Amino acid sequence: MDEERNNWKAWLYLSPVLLLMALFTFYPILNTVVVSFLKDYDSTKGTSSGFSFFNYGYVLGIAANNDVGITNHDFFSWNSPSAFSNTMFITFVTVPISVLLALLIALAIHSIRPLKKFFQTVFFMPYVTNVIAIGMVFGVLFGNHGVVNALFHLDTPWLDPSSSTWGSCMFVLCLYIIWTALPYKILIFLSGLQGIDQQYYDAARVDGASKMKTNLKITVPLLSPQILYITVTSFITAFKEYSSVVGLIGRSYSSDPNTHDLYTIVYYIMDAMNGNMGASNKVAQFASAAAVILLLVVLIFTLLELQISKKRVVY
Amino acid sequence: MNKPSSISTKLVLVPASSKGRNSIKEGKRDRAKAILSSVFVYLFLSAAALLCLFPFYYMIAASFMSYEEVSTGSFFFSFATMGENFINNYTETWTRLQFLSHVGTTLLVAVSTTVLQLLTTILASFAFAKLHFKGRDFLFMLVLASMMIPGEMLAITNYSTFSSLDLISSHQTYFQAILTMVLPLISSAFYIFLLRQTFRQIPNELYLAARIDGKSDWQYLWKVLVPLAMPTLITITILSFISSWNSYVWPSISVSNDSYNVISVIIRGNALQFAGPSGAMITNTAWQMTSSVLTVLPILLLFIAFRKYIMTGTGRAGIKG
Amino acid sequence: MEIKLVGLTKTFPGNPKKHIPETTAVDHLDFTVKDGELLGLLGPSGCGKSTTLYMLSGLKEPTSGQIFFGDREVTFLPPEKRGIGLVFQNYALYPHMTVYKNIEFPLTSLKVEENEKDFAFLKESALQRVLLQAKEVHILLAKAKKDGKSPLDCAEDLANAFSISLSLAKEIVPLFEEDLEDFLCKASSLLEESKKKQAEEKEALRQKGIELSEEGELLREGKTRSIRRNLSKDEIDALIREAAKLVQITEFLERKPSELSGGQQQRVAIARALVKKPKVLLLDEPLSNLDARLRIQTREEIRRIQQETGITTVFVTHDQEEAMSICDEILVMNQGKMVQLAAPQEIYRNPNSLFAAKFLGNPPINVFHGRIQDGAVYLGEEKILACKEKLPDQEVYVAIRPEGFLMGKEAKPKDKVLTLQCTQVLTQGRDLCLYCSHPSMEGDRLKLVVDSDLDATPGPISFALRRNKVFLFGKEDQKRILF
Repeated sequence: MDEERNNWKAWLYLSPVLLLMALFTFYPILNTVVVSFLKDYDSTKGTSSGFSFFNYGYVLGIAANNDVGITNHDFFSWNSPSAFSNTMFITFVTVPISVLLALLIALAIHSIRPLKKFFQTVFFMPYVTNVIAIGMVFGVLFGNHGVVNALFHLDTPWLDPSSSTWGSCMFVLCLYIIWTALPYKILIFLSGLQGIDQQYYDAARVDGASKMKTNLKITVPLLSPQILYITVTSFITAFKEYSSVVGLIGRSYSSDPNTHDLYTIVYYIMDAMNGNMGASNKVAQFASAAAVILLLVVLIFTLLELQISKKRVVY
Repeated sequence: MNKPSSISTKLVLVPASSKGRNSIKEGKRDRAKAILSSVFVYLFLSAAALLCLFPFYYMIAASFMSYEEVSTGSFFFSFATMGENFINNYTETWTRLQFLSHVGTTLLVAVSTTVLQLLTTILASFAFAKLHFKGRDFLFMLVLASMMIPGEMLAITNYSTFSSLDLISSHQTYFQAILTMVLPLISSAFYIFLLRQTFRQIPNELYLAARIDGKSDWQYLWKVLVPLAMPTLITITILSFISSWNSYVWPSISVSNDSYNVISVIIRGNALQFAGPSGAMITNTAWQMTSSVLTVLPILLLFIAFRKYIMTGTGRAGIKG
Repeated sequence: MEIKLVGLTKTFPGNPKKHIPETTAVDHLDFTVKDGELLGLLGPSGCGKSTTLYMLSGLKEPTSGQIFFGDREVTFLPPEKRGIGLVFQNYALYPHMTVYKNIEFPLTSLKVEENEKDFAFLKESALQRVLLQAKEVHILLAKAKKDGKSPLDCAEDLANAFSISLSLAKEIVPLFEEDLEDFLCKASSLLEESKKKQAEEKEALRQKGIELSEEGELLREGKTRSIRRNLSKDEIDALIREAAKLVQITEFLERKPSELSGGQQQRVAIARALVKKPKVLLLDEPLSNLDARLRIQTREEIRRIQQETGITTVFVTHDQEEAMSICDEILVMNQGKMVQLAAPQEIYRNPNSLFAAKFLGNPPINVFHGRIQDGAVYLGEEKILACKEKLPDQEVYVAIRPEGFLMGKEAKPKDKVLTLQCTQVLTQGRDLCLYCSHPSMEGDRLKLVVDSDLDATPGPISFALRRNKVFLFGKEDQKRILF
């Protein structure tokens, strides 16, 4: 095609998206990074008292806030559950479990013939549902006198704001996250499985490989591109967990300063933005610093996974 | 060199799983094993499916229960009172949430986001897939890389951008609220990626043929590419609609007046509370479950109607991702 | 091993809802493949030849009928228990494994059935065998060293050349001395040492009341004991190298299948099928993915391998030339039924039906609509041949091989009984190819092959016919009529 002639036309086609992205994606990234380094930034006036690492120090619980005079351990703490540690916990518990479970279910669905379509549909249903709405359902199921306690004759205050433990809240949250995370993974694995030539399975049968061995030595390696894709995207999603917490317990939960059991990084960012942290208005810079830290975490893990996958993704 | 007798030629190899020489018996036993293992697979799938469907079941069942039934952990609703509870739950939820007005807002946001998203995505994907210009690959990588950015990171600045445009304020109008909710969600790197893949698979000969027929790029895009990419476009439409219907984070911070907000934000609000005996506000969980049904059901029906498009489209995206 | 099929049938159930009728892919097939023979299953696509092969492999179950391997019925035995090797049309090499791992894969689910043995003793035997050829070892290692190969590569060369295990080869490589005399000296002392070790081992076992045979088998009270054990690493390695050597892919063992050409992939697939020492080798259109030149080369290769191993082989193809060139016997199939089973030349010379006649031979046989009348064969009004048998008057198909026509000085004028309208003459080196037409012919033209020394020009030409190249087939059943 004629490169010169297409040049300005191409930019015309791209202009709506580029304009929107420049304004609502690329500018915010740069701005967030800049703001995260501005001391005493005032988002309404756009003023600050200069470049500083103070925001990071404050977020990480090293430096004391000028206004309140106390250090804040909501985001990061060595000795109690914090936004950072909770997020890490959620990620490293839910991602492996949901990837493995999704793989098992996908393999099971792939191996059957009758009812295959039915199971495919059933397992995909949670994908399209509203995280808030179903979160409320989980909240009720795990209520003090909810169905789960009634069914198993338990008396556990799973999510009760006053008497629940970190473990019980986290259990329910992880369960819910796994429930929401499964459908997409199952679907991707299933379409990956469909792409594997039947001849490999025939060959494996002739070679006398058991079902287990076929799955481990043939299917999983051949599925490695999908497994990599799912692992990378699952990590990114898990690091950003927030709506599921809101669905499960509602926004009022975190405003109690003593209960940070389900606090996550994004929850912290949202609170900082909304001025829920004591120093009203002046906290966009803390939200920014936390967001930059989140971005770094996501970047590091993604690069790490891609590096590992170079050796593991086999073709 | 005379051929040495190889150590391996003398080996008698037998299948590890083979037990005896009675092949008919063995064949039958293997078949019994296969049946047993498929029974196991079905049991596993059914158990998993039950767990997966349970929240849906309970949500619907609870909308037939009274508050007392829900808060004592009843598993089934009682047939005697289901009708009465049902009517009570749905009328209360409907009016308390001003359901119709919020669904209207949600629908308006979802439809306008979807339409604008489709339009911009088609244009951008065409340029990325079929046109040549300097810096195309770099720009495309940039767009792709933006998928990694947590959306919440963008919300911080977008909030102040919209504030400075006076779109977010205490005197925010309905129109301003809609505009605020829609604008940042229009451009989607993921859909551009998806559609570009589809466009690229359409052979370039068609472009040349269209050129010979005297068609312009613009006509080629709308008369040839778009109809050929219809399955992908339908997938994008449905996925885009569903995700804007379910969006929560941005609306929850950008809309000042709750009566202008979308349904996801409203159901988590205080509208379904009532004053308990001690005076504290208590959420009526039966109403809450009913509101979940009202929010989830339309999308679930949409999904069941279009499940083929949603599932194949999403699956395809993953393979190429 | 002999393969016997008895009434083998495969029907695929239809779906009345979708108006798909039931189809019979294979219909009561009865035949026997003799031990060590290469049988070609030949037929057009959809004739059921691949289905037959898959039933032989156990990947598909027959609807009825029986399959015997030797005297053992295997009809419902799963593939891994049949002792077969199968080469797939697209090879089905595992893309994520190296060639080595691909060939290794079938071995990991096999066990060895053998008499109890003393492996230390056997290793010494192998060492002695190599040391006895110390001169050859020296030549090989000296050359490898000169080529700058690493010790591991040297060991591999050694293992491949002498069919010993890699671990033993690794022990031998460091013994190398530049000077041949030194090396031979070292070898002979090692030989003595090794023999001593064997004698000691024998003595030690004797103390426990166990005798040792020359083959290293343990004799308890004079009897061997049969056991099942896993393959050792060395044995697996040796088997892989042996198979790789057989199909000449030793230098590719560490590559991935995607780094190999089609022909090389084909060899790997054959090696993978052969490594488990199957009693039966099955090949599903093994040459269809290769280009013309490779196809000829590879089919000769398959023939060589088959003859070297003496393994009973069934080979599916739709290419008659392929089948004719390498098979001991050809089974022509059509619509799930056996048409003819015979040696390739036999089918060509004596086709039993019009289908077999048409399917074999290139250029294809020429078919006419003729009749038998008063003890002679007529094409239109031309009486071409007289019948030797007494046959009733009837309509028949007359089929004449392209080389069955004699013209010019090849035949006496009075024998020239058939006149064809020649439309085109093509020179093909050794032969002339004539395109002709005739009012009674089937199809749109006839293709004749005559000697290139003959003078042929377009226009009417009279031919004499070679009687043994002319076949008659019944109009109804299309079966051969001897005349």
